[in-house]
Amino acid sequence: MVPIAEVIIFGTIEASVYGLLALGFSLVYGVGGILNLSHGLFYLLTGYIIFWTYTTIGIVWAVILALIIIIIVGGLSYLLLIKPLQENHVAILIITFSLGFFVEQFIKVFGDAIPHTVPSFVGGAITILGVPFPSQFFVILIGSFIVIAITGLFISKSKIGKSIRAISQDREAAMLMGINADRTLMYTVMISAALAGIAAVLYVPASSIAPHMGWDVLSNSFAIVIFGGLGSLKGSVVGAFILGYTRSFVNYFIDPAFSALVPIVVIILVLLIRPRGIFGKKEVY
Amino acid sequence: MGVILEVKNLTKKYGGLTAVNDFSFEIKRGEFIGLIGPNGAGKTTVFNLISGFQRPNSGTIRFDGKDITGMAPYKIVNLGVARTFQLVRSFKLLTLLDNISVSCLSSRGKKVAKGHGVDEYASTILASVGLVDKARIPPIILPHGDLRKLQIGKALGTNPQLLLLDEPFSGLSHEEQDVITDLIIKLHDDGVTVFMTGHVLRELMHLVPRVIAMHQGKFIMDGTPQEVAKNKIVLEAYLGKGEVFA
Amino acid sequence: MSAKSLSKGKGRVKKKLSGSKSYLLNWSKTFRGRLTIICLIGLCLIPLLTQNRYYLGIFITAMIFSIFAASWDFLAGFTGQVSFGQAIFFGISGYITSYFIRYLYLPWWASLLIGSLVGVAFGLLIGIPALRLKGPYLGLATMVLGLIMFYTFLNVKFEPWLGGSEGISKIPQISRNAVETYYIHLIFMITSFLILIWIGKSKMGTVFKSIRDDDIGAEASGINLTKYKLIAFMISAFFAGIAGGLFAMHNRGVNPGVFQPLYSFYAIVMASLGGIATISGSALGSYFFWFAAELFSEWPDVSVFIFAIILILVIRFAEHGILKPVLERLKDIWDLVLGK
Ligand SMILES: Nc1ncnc2c1ncn2[C@@H]1O[C@H](COP(=O)(O)OP(=O)(O)O)[C@@H](O)[C@H]1O
Ligand SMILES: [Mg+2]
Repeated sequence: MVPIAEVIIFGTIEASVYGLLALGFSLVYGVGGILNLSHGLFYLLTGYIIFWTYTTIGIVWAVILALIIIIIVGGLSYLLLIKPLQENHVAILIITFSLGFFVEQFIKVFGDAIPHTVPSFVGGAITILGVPFPSQFFVILIGSFIVIAITGLFISKSKIGKSIRAISQDREAAMLMGINADRTLMYTVMISAALAGIAAVLYVPASSIAPHMGWDVLSNSFAIVIFGGLGSLKGSVVGAFILGYTRSFVNYFIDPAFSALVPIVVIILVLLIRPRGIFGKKEVY
Repeated sequence: MGVILEVKNLTKKYGGLTAVNDFSFEIKRGEFIGLIGPNGAGKTTVFNLISGFQRPNSGTIRFDGKDITGMAPYKIVNLGVARTFQLVRSFKLLTLLDNISVSCLSSRGKKVAKGHGVDEYASTILASVGLVDKARIPPIILPHGDLRKLQIGKALGTNPQLLLLDEPFSGLSHEEQDVITDLIIKLHDDGVTVFMTGHVLRELMHLVPRVIAMHQGKFIMDGTPQEVAKNKIVLEAYLGKGEVFA
Repeated sequence: MSAKSLSKGKGRVKKKLSGSKSYLLNWSKTFRGRLTIICLIGLCLIPLLTQNRYYLGIFITAMIFSIFAASWDFLAGFTGQVSFGQAIFFGISGYITSYFIRYLYLPWWASLLIGSLVGVAFGLLIGIPALRLKGPYLGLATMVLGLIMFYTFLNVKFEPWLGGSEGISKIPQISRNAVETYYIHLIFMITSFLILIWIGKSKMGTVFKSIRDDDIGAEASGINLTKYKLIAFMISAFFAGIAGGLFAMHNRGVNPGVFQPLYSFYAIVMASLGGIATISGSALGSYFFWFAAELFSEWPDVSVFIFAIILILVIRFAEHGILKPVLERLKDIWDLVLGK
C-alpha cells in the first residue's frame, strides 16, 4: 500500500514547523532588510534549554523558561550586535554568522555533539487510515496553526503589527508618520525568536536536536523565503507547505538521500524562473 | 536632424498611484531640452524608465530608432544614453579619477578611452568638469557642487549621445549653479543632446529653448519656456504646490 | 571630447605612469613594505630553525588558510559580495585533486589545477542564478549549497561514488621532504597574494570596488554587474580551490567535513580578524588563528568557540579588523626604538 497518509501527515508537519521558522526570518528581512544568519540558533537554543532543564523543573516550566530566555536573547542580539552595525550589511552578516557559531560551539563545549530529544506533552497514538501516528504530531499541527493564525492577527490588528507592516512597505513614510523603526525592528527580532522557539517546543519532542542543526534550520528557512519572496508573509507560509510536501514526497517515493537536496533545487529553480519569489515585491531603485 | 529619443504612451504605476501616465514626446538629435513639473510630478520616474532602472507598465521608448524599453540599464548606457541622479551618488572609497575611470571602462567608454589610455582619458574628463586638481582624493570630502560636477563627469566617461540630467542644480548656491550651467552649455556645444529636469522653472528659463511640462504624471504642454510660463495648468500646478516660480 | 582638451591631461598621466614603475621601490621603503619584507624573509628562514615535520606543518596549514581566507576577502572586500559557502570550492577542489592523484595517477600540480578549475565551474553554477539578485542572496545560497554538498558526500547511498564519511584517503604528499613541501607552500602563498593584490589594483579591481561602493551607480556607468560579479566570484573560487587542494594533500586525504559551514567560518574569521579588503590581513589572521589553535590542540571545539567570540568582538568594536591598529602600534614601537 502506498503510505499516502504518511506522506501527507509528515509533509504537513514539516510544513507547519518550517512555516513558523520562515515567518520570523521573513519578517525580520521585511522590516530591517536584514538576513539574520543566527536565526537557527533561536530554534537550537530553545531545544537545548528545555533539554537541560526539564528533568529538574518539569517540562512545562522548562518550556516557559526556554521561551522567555529566547525572546530575551533575540532582543539582546538586536540591541548589542545588529543595531550598532545597522549601516554595514557585511558586518551584520558576519556577526550573525559568528553568533550562530558561538551557540553551536557553546553547546559542543559545555554539552556534547550527539543528538538528544525531549519528552512530548502527550503520549499515545492516533490512527488515521490504518496508520498509527504519535499524538505529538497533532500537537504540532494544531499548535503551529494556532500560532501562525495568532501571528497573522497580531500583524494585522495590533499596534506593533501595524508598525511592522508600515515599515516593511515604506520605511521613510513610516518614519515620517512617527513610527520608531529601531524599536519596531527589535520587536520583530523578538517575535522571530519566539516563533522559532515555539517551533522547537513543538517539533523537538518528535525529532531530535544536535549542535549542527541550526544551519539546517537556517537553510530551509532561507529556501522557503526565497521561494515565497523575501518579506512576504503569505509567501513564507505557502513556501513552507510546498517545501514540506516536496521533501516528504521525495522521502517516500524517491529516496531519502535526495530530500536534503530539495531546498537547493527549489532555490535555484526559483531564482532562475522568478527571481523575486512567487509573492515577492518588485525591487525599486 | 533625426529623432534621437521617442517616447510613446509611457505609463508607470506604483500600486494605486500612476507616477507616469500615458506620456509621449520626441527629442531631436542635438536638442537642448528641459522637463519641468513640481515635486512629485513624475520627472525622475520618466528618467528611470528611459535609463532602464525601472520597467514601464506600458508604452515604448526608442533611442536612435532602436526599441530600448525594459532593457538592462548598462546596455542602455552602452548604446549612448547616460544619466545623472537627483541625489548624488559616487564610489565613496575610490579616488575621483577612479570614479570616472569606471565609466571609461564600460564597453562604450572603452572604445574612446582605448586610444588614449583609460587614466589619461579619465583625467581629461576630470579636467573638463573642473576637478582635475582633486583627482587623487575620494569623493566623501567634496563639497556638494563638486559632487554634482562628478556626476556629470561620470556620465561623460561613457561617451553619451544623449545625456539625462536629473535636477543638476538642486542643492547648489548661485555661484555653483553658474559653473554647472556653463559646463552643460559647453557639453551641448560639443554635440551632446541634453535632456534635463528641474522643478524650479526659473533655473531653466534662460538655458533651454524648449521645455516639456508635466504634472501628476501627465503631459501638459511642450513649447518655449515663455509659452510654458504662461500656461494656466502649469501655473496652477506650481501655485497649488506653493513652489517658487518666475 | 575635443583633441585639445585631451592633450591637456597628458602631462599628469605621464607622471602617474612613471610613478607606478617606482611603486614597488617606494612601497619597500614604507614601514608596511619593510615589515612585509621582514616577515617574508622570516618565513623563508624558518626551515633553518627547524626541520621538524610537525612544526613546519603548523606553518603550512597557516599558509594554506591564508590563501583560503584571502580568496574570501577578495570577494567580500573588493566586490562587497559575502560568501558563506567558501567551503564549497575548498572542498570540491580537495576531492577532485585527491581523486586525480589517487585514482588517475596525475602529478599533484596537474590535479591541483584541475581541482581548482572544477571549483571555478561550481562558482559559475551557483553564481549565475544567485547573481540575478542583489544583496545577500549569494551568501546564503552558497551556504545552503555547502550544506547540501556536506550531506551528499556524507550519504551512504552515494558512498560507492563519493567515498562516504571516509572520503578519499592515503594520497601521497607533495614531497617526502618536509622542507621542500614548506617552500612549495610558501611559493603558493606568495604567488596567490601577489595575484590577488595585483588584480585589486588593476582596472578590473577598480570596477569591482565601484560595484561594492554603489552598484546602481556602477550600472549607470555602463558596467555589466552580473559579468563582473561572476568574474570576481570565479577568481575567488579558484584560489579557494587552490587552498582546498593543498589542504587535502597536506592532510593526505579529504572527507565530507570540508564542506561544513565551519570551513567557511574559518575563512571569514581569519580574513575579518586581519581586516576586510586588505588581502594581507588574511595572512595575519590565519597565522594568529593556527598558532592559537595549537594552544588548544587537545580541544578543537574550544578554539572555534573562542574565535567565534573574538570575531564577534572584533566586528562589533573594530569593524576594520586588527591589521591596521597592529601596524600602527608596531610603527610607534619601531619609531621609538629608532629614537625618532
Ligand atoms: N519607487 C517608488 N515607489 C513608490 N512610489 C514612487 C516611487 N518613486 C516615485 N514614486 C512616486 O511617484 C511620483 C513621482 O515621483 P518622481 O518621479 O520622483 O517625481 P519628481 O521627480 O517629478 O519629483 C511621486 O508621487 C512619488 O511618490
Ligand atoms: Mg525627481
